[in-house]
Amino acid sequence: MAKKKEYTKKKDVRVDFTPMVDMNMLLITFFMLCTTMIKSQTLQISLPSNEKVDKTEQNKVKQSEAVTIIVDSDIDDNGVPTKDYVYYYEGMPNIEDANKDGKIDNNIMKEIEFKGNENGKAQGIRAVLQERNKQVVEKITVLKEDWKAKKFSSNKAVNDSVYQARAKEIRNDSTLTRPVIIIKATPNASYKSLVTALDEMQINNISRYQIDRINGTDSAMMADFLIARQK
Amino acid sequence: MKVKTEKKAPFIDMTAMSDVTVLLLTFFMLTSTFLQKEPTTVITPASVSEEKVPEQNLVTLLVTKDSQIFLSIAGDRDSSYSSEKMREEVLLNVVEEYNKKHPNKKIQLTNADVAVFGNTHMFGLPLAQLSEWCKLPTEKRDDLLDPAKNPKAGIPIDMGKDVENRNEFQQWMLALYNTSNPNLAKAVKSGKGIAIKADATTPYSVVQVVMDNLQTLKMNKFTLMTALKTEED
Repeated sequence: MAKKKEYTKKKDVRVDFTPMVDMNMLLITFFMLCTTMIKSQTLQISLPSNEKVDKTEQNKVKQSEAVTIIVDSDIDDNGVPTKDYVYYYEGMPNIEDANKDGKIDNNIMKEIEFKGNENGKAQGIRAVLQERNKQVVEKITVLKEDWKAKKFSSNKAVNDSVYQARAKEIRNDSTLTRPVIIIKATPNASYKSLVTALDEMQINNISRYQIDRINGTDSAMMADFLIARQK
Repeated sequence: MKVKTEKKAPFIDMTAMSDVTVLLLTFFMLTSTFLQKEPTTVITPASVSEEKVPEQNLVTLLVTKDSQIFLSIAGDRDSSYSSEKMREEVLLNVVEEYNKKHPNKKIQLTNADVAVFGNTHMFGLPLAQLSEWCKLPTEKRDDLLDPAKNPKAGIPIDMGKDVENRNEFQQWMLALYNTSNPNLAKAVKSGKGIAIKADATTPYSVVQVVMDNLQTLKMNKFTLMTALKTEED
């Protein structure tokens, strides 16, 4: 018996896996090309209802709190926006022309850019908004430090939710000086510029903002500003 | 003297490689959600918002540069209110309203037509062309929805201030309230269920028309689809 076993010594069975790997690679390529890994994000918007608009709610905004941002874009021959511009003014619009020279005496409109942070400091419109919303931003910064150090809870989910709730409280705290931002877009403005403007509200923790239509006063101020800039 | 070396094909053991590829494959299969066919490619603008798009009970409004609108409805994923069923219900609601208004030009749909609509991820055509569209072969249907091939694609929309005589876009949106799925109506009402998807280079005036229409319908809350952008502190 023992001798026989030696004869039937099994040969090493080797399966060639190369075709299997080839096939798998093909399948992986297919799945990689056909899938979306990145899920889109959403930006929440709530517009005032039509009845409110008719009551011209926006006029009740205190002059000291109001900042109007106007976004505009250059468009090419096909109507595709190319370059974005941002203008803003603080307080109420003023198109008084006392000496009747066709120019607005004291045009408070300024041109600015969407710039973001540079060297850890806010630039462009963000710097303006941050300055206006200083009290809230300062409190949120302190809160953020606590959140990063997990001071509210060692559990990540609880820590996050406490932070979110407190941040919301601070943003809506009426005892702080908070600005009201009115975002307006010219007919040429790109969708991107509006989203960027809305984004700045989030970044600067501004809770009170609205999207509004551009009106005659704004157009007049813009036209006057652009003429003055060209000179 | 030449030494005769017998050449042997080197045998590489592919087992480990195979293991790795199978693992990768499993990962991709489990994590993937397939890209849905959309009539046109849209690159959404970037924003810092980290809120994710809901996967169920969502109505996506795709807005092209030429202000054509396409509608996509997603129902619950794991209940009896599937996307297909929701689409069919919404379609039947809209057609019923349409037939009431146009007694002379009623739309007649067969069950097969309704099923075709249920399986279409994104739709955007005037209602008058609907029954004709359902009977076309698949490629032709896609062609008709493609704004590059059919400039008249898209759900008809106007300034939308006429409450008595609502445009087709508003009729579609209102039909969303009247499905058998309460979650969908709830999502639409809370604003989380409506997402506007538009290209970054779309003029804002085009998106504004859609927003105005939603406002007329008292759907004041909605979301804008954006891509993630990170901002350093």
